[in-house]
Amino acid sequence: MKKLITIIILFISLCFITNNNYAQGKDQCLNCHSEVVGGAPSELFKNDIHYKMGLSCADCHGGNSKTDDMDAAMSKAAGYIGVPKGNAVSEVCAKCHASKEKMASFGVHIPTNQFDDLKNSVHGALSTNGKDRIVQCINCHGAHGIVKVTNPRSPVYPLNIPKTCAKCHSNSVFMRAYDPSLPIDQYEKYRTSVHGILNSKGDPKPAQCVSCHGSHGIKATDDVNSSVYPVNIPATCSKCHSNKKYMAKYKIPTDQYEKYSQSVHGIALLKKKDTGAPACNSCHGNHAATPPGISSISKVCGTCHALNAELFASSPHKKAFDENNYPECETCHSNHLIITATDKLLGVSKGAVCAKCHTPEKNTEGYKVAKDMKSKIDSLEKAQKYALSLIDNAEQKGMEVDDEKFKLRDAHQAVLEAKTAVHSFNEKKFDDVVVGKGLKVTTEVIKDAQASIDDYYFRRKGLGIALIITILLAVGLYLYIKDYEKNQKKNE
Amino acid sequence: MKNFIYKLYKWIDERVEIEGLVKYMGKKYVPVHRNSVWYYFGGVSLFFFIIQVITGILLLFYYKGSSDLAFESIKFIMSKVQFGWLVRSIHAWSANLFILSAFIHMFSVYFEKSYRKPREVTWLTGVLMLFLALGFGFSGYLLPWNELAFFATKVGSDIAGQIPIVGNSLKIFIRGGNDVTGATLSRLFGFHVALFPGIFTIILAIHLILVQRQGISEPMHLENEKEDEKKKMPFFPNFMLRDLLLWLIVLNLLAILAVYFPAELGHKANAFSSAPAGIKPEWYFLFMFQSLKYFPSHIWFTDGEVIGICLFGIAGLLWLLVPFWDRKSSKGERNVFMTYLGIFVVMFIIVLTILGWLS
Repeated sequence: MKKLITIIILFISLCFITNNNYAQGKDQCLNCHSEVVGGAPSELFKNDIHYKMGLSCADCHGGNSKTDDMDAAMSKAAGYIGVPKGNAVSEVCAKCHASKEKMASFGVHIPTNQFDDLKNSVHGALSTNGKDRIVQCINCHGAHGIVKVTNPRSPVYPLNIPKTCAKCHSNSVFMRAYDPSLPIDQYEKYRTSVHGILNSKGDPKPAQCVSCHGSHGIKATDDVNSSVYPVNIPATCSKCHSNKKYMAKYKIPTDQYEKYSQSVHGIALLKKKDTGAPACNSCHGNHAATPPGISSISKVCGTCHALNAELFASSPHKKAFDENNYPECETCHSNHLIITATDKLLGVSKGAVCAKCHTPEKNTEGYKVAKDMKSKIDSLEKAQKYALSLIDNAEQKGMEVDDEKFKLRDAHQAVLEAKTAVHSFNEKKFDDVVVGKGLKVTTEVIKDAQASIDDYYFRRKGLGIALIITILLAVGLYLYIKDYEKNQKKNE
Repeated sequence: MKNFIYKLYKWIDERVEIEGLVKYMGKKYVPVHRNSVWYYFGGVSLFFFIIQVITGILLLFYYKGSSDLAFESIKFIMSKVQFGWLVRSIHAWSANLFILSAFIHMFSVYFEKSYRKPREVTWLTGVLMLFLALGFGFSGYLLPWNELAFFATKVGSDIAGQIPIVGNSLKIFIRGGNDVTGATLSRLFGFHVALFPGIFTIILAIHLILVQRQGISEPMHLENEKEDEKKKMPFFPNFMLRDLLLWLIVLNLLAILAVYFPAELGHKANAFSSAPAGIKPEWYFLFMFQSLKYFPSHIWFTDGEVIGICLFGIAGLLWLLVPFWDRKSSKGERNVFMTYLGIFVVMFIIVLTILGWLS
């Protein structure tokens, strides 16, 4: 029995070897081009995956590869097309790669939507010649020496992808023809990023161009379907960064996406679709993605929260934080899980961040300032609520209070400004906003709204008095008419 | 007091000789019967008109008739001018009550057939004044330049534009262009405070002179009674004092409405915003607006709405000319058809107005 199995295996192996050799021996194009014409294409083709799968030159170039008669082999009647150019290149590839049946006939089960994806991608747009697509399959995969993407020699193997993309994307002359506004330093930046450094060290796992942008169906970054459109960026990054197994080797947390999606930034971007809200790349960079260090956190946050950063830089906390090596904004606001900055963060009560360092026993001056600041902002908000209730009351009574409503916006603005002014950690600066602006305008609004309500009651009282007068007049007139007509009858 | 009034009267009489006029008025009598109460609505309408003139002049001190400032100036009147809110609210309420009282006055005249010879011209002037009052309402409605007024004017002028032959020119004339713009506001402001009051005052003068000259019409069934058996009261001072008493009551009603239901202002007109949902004209146009909804989109060869507008035009003209085609009443004969026609018209207006209000 064992002997029989050995014979069968040997027979099958022989068949394959024979078949391959037979094919090679029979591909008269390759025979001539190797032995007579020479040159790189025929040499490269011998290592090409397609050659190994049994494809001949004629499968792409057309013609008859079974005859050694050059005229017959390269006759148009035999379907010879020569060297395909422009879109014809990708169409030749698509003959097999877009057909599930054909791919299955080779025993290959890779996706067959690459050509459709390419046509619909940003690379599928018309090139400067006005006829062909910008990118053809061979621009990335090469032509005669194509190997599997898992082969380190492939130009689309993860370690080689950055260089492959950079062929065009770092070429200023080429890129200017398509999108002069697009930077051409992505490759250089990438090499400085954590991803790029690990990639250049031979680690194929960290993200390279394709990991974020996709491969065949790459969309422009301002296309909502793009994997790097702002709203989609967190999900794109989380493909790797939330994968515990994938990230295990790097020993970094994998809960960033989960935290971010609950943060004020994540809610704004993912739920409210506010593309102005920061995504991962807004703080970490994109091509030069690196976690911000302790010293640079306030600069990163300050790109959007400019006033807060400026006030913080001139505050007494700056020195203290630097000396204690505290990450600036992150110390109070956290990083990925940044919640909406409410007044609860201020002060010394439970949940207030000031109380983390300032207690009645330790750092007492700061404790007092934090307590005062909280009390003043509470007073402002209380006064604002009261003013609003008076305005509502007056409005329900039908009084005209548009001016008061408009003024109250200033008070609301003062509350917002106070939330910024708090970063100065300076009581005077804080008072200028809360007391000098907010409470002042709120007091005026309360006075005016109260006057409107008083006016409402005055109108009713006035109406009452006017009614009494007119009713008295009417009664008097009625009595006069009665009396007059009585006298009139008497005189008659 | 009486002495003072008598002295004042004498003082005036010595200078302008009003004795004759007073005696003339004293000789004028108002018939007294079960329907005498309707006579007062002429005076009440006059009272509302006087209120309109006074409050209108007061509003003119502050109102600015341009699309940039109209809304703001009304807001200023409502919030900053002393008693501005009261003046505007009285103006708005008095306008509505003026039209209501004019309608009541007109129908009371109609059902008593008081338009019959020799009072045809009095009827004509009266109906023309009602039409003018509707014109006052339409033109005044836009003046606050708020959202509701803007779109209501758009709809109203669109309807006018449907009138065959002259419709489009009329629409452009009303709007001062193809659309409702600041030019429309300036135009309607001009109509509201200058053109209409001028014409109205002339017609009102003719109407009042005719009423004084011809006296108050008595119902047809009293005409055959003997003169000394007829109940009547002197126009001056008896009827006039009663008029005055009613004016005081009406003034109270006006004050209560103005204080408890002040005129609203809404949002400033914005040509680019969408029309507010359920936009409706003022109540006195509602029956026409609602009726037009029931016309099919096409009747024979033309637009159903156009037919409806034409029918209203013809009906209005026939109504104006009632004294000239109701020959029976002019001859002193009872005309039951006219009474039923009047009842139909009143019911039509009331039912369609309610339906319009509820829709």
